[in-house]
Amino acid sequence: MVLNCKDVRREISNYLDDDISPEMRAALEAHLAQCRHCTAVLDGTHNVLVLIADDRVFPLPAGFSARLHEKLRRELESV
Amino acid sequence: MVTEQMAERKNPSSHDPALEANLIARVLQGEKEVFYELIRAYEKSVYLTAFSVLQNSGDAEEVSQEAILKAFRHLADFRGESRFGTWLVKIALNEARMHLRKQHRHMWESMECQNQEDESDYLPEEFGDWREIPSEALERKEIRDLLSNAVAALPEIYREVIALRDIRQMSVAETAEVLGVRKQVVKTRLLRARLRLRDMVAPFTTSRGLFSRNPFRRGTNPWF
Repeated sequence: MVLNCKDVRREISNYLDDDISPEMRAALEAHLAQCRHCTAVLDGTHNVLVLIADDRVFPLPAGFSARLHEKLRRELESV
Repeated sequence: MVTEQMAERKNPSSHDPALEANLIARVLQGEKEVFYELIRAYEKSVYLTAFSVLQNSGDAEEVSQEAILKAFRHLADFRGESRFGTWLVKIALNEARMHLRKQHRHMWESMECQNQEDESDYLPEEFGDWREIPSEALERKEIRDLLSNAVAALPEIYREVIALRDIRQMSVAETAEVLGVRKQVVKTRLLRARLRLRDMVAPFTTSRGLFSRNPFRRGTNPWF
């Protein structure tokens, strides 16, 4: 199986999720080995996903849990 | 991959199902205060799901509280057909969408989303290499803002899937269940959302020299 850049871009997300067949993985990696652009797309996408998964990027608002628990406490006391 | 290692590290839905079933039973038998323990691990998922729809922290917090109260009031309706966390996050998503509908803010964006679902193949733009995993870069507010603004700039359907799958590390199946769509739809949205995020973030990271261009090491990375 030989893939072009368009084929590779369609599979990049599945590749990052390890959700492709061994044959597709081999073909994709063969393409990446000789395509600088697709490699840059893969690496950049991968890095963005690592970064946004970090808890520091999307923190809970300060005091969120305390306010939630106070609201829950009032609810629990009322039933 | 987005992946099992990361999911185990942070995914609240990796709660032990047996423990969770026990907590639910105790709440239903009258130990109401056990509900705190039951929902603690999901507070952030509920909030970020609401935030992905509403894009306003005050509204997202209000909706999160309502969703969790609703889950408490309807806990007896939870049949265990899905994981508790999935059920709870689904309530949060529905509450957030209803909240948005009430605000009548969704009309134009919905039309935009509809069009984007129909778009043909998305072409990633050409940028320089960016291969390092710069987690220490997150100490810089500038970088955190860059990332959160990029997610905020996505259409709602892409923000939702990124929040559930890539930020909260739910599985594709759980994400599909929460969103009420097929797994293939989740995968298609993920592809488009991820490439768009990369296109929005990469120009800043490369042109401003924020990160070096050393290749990351496959094999030591969570994805591989």
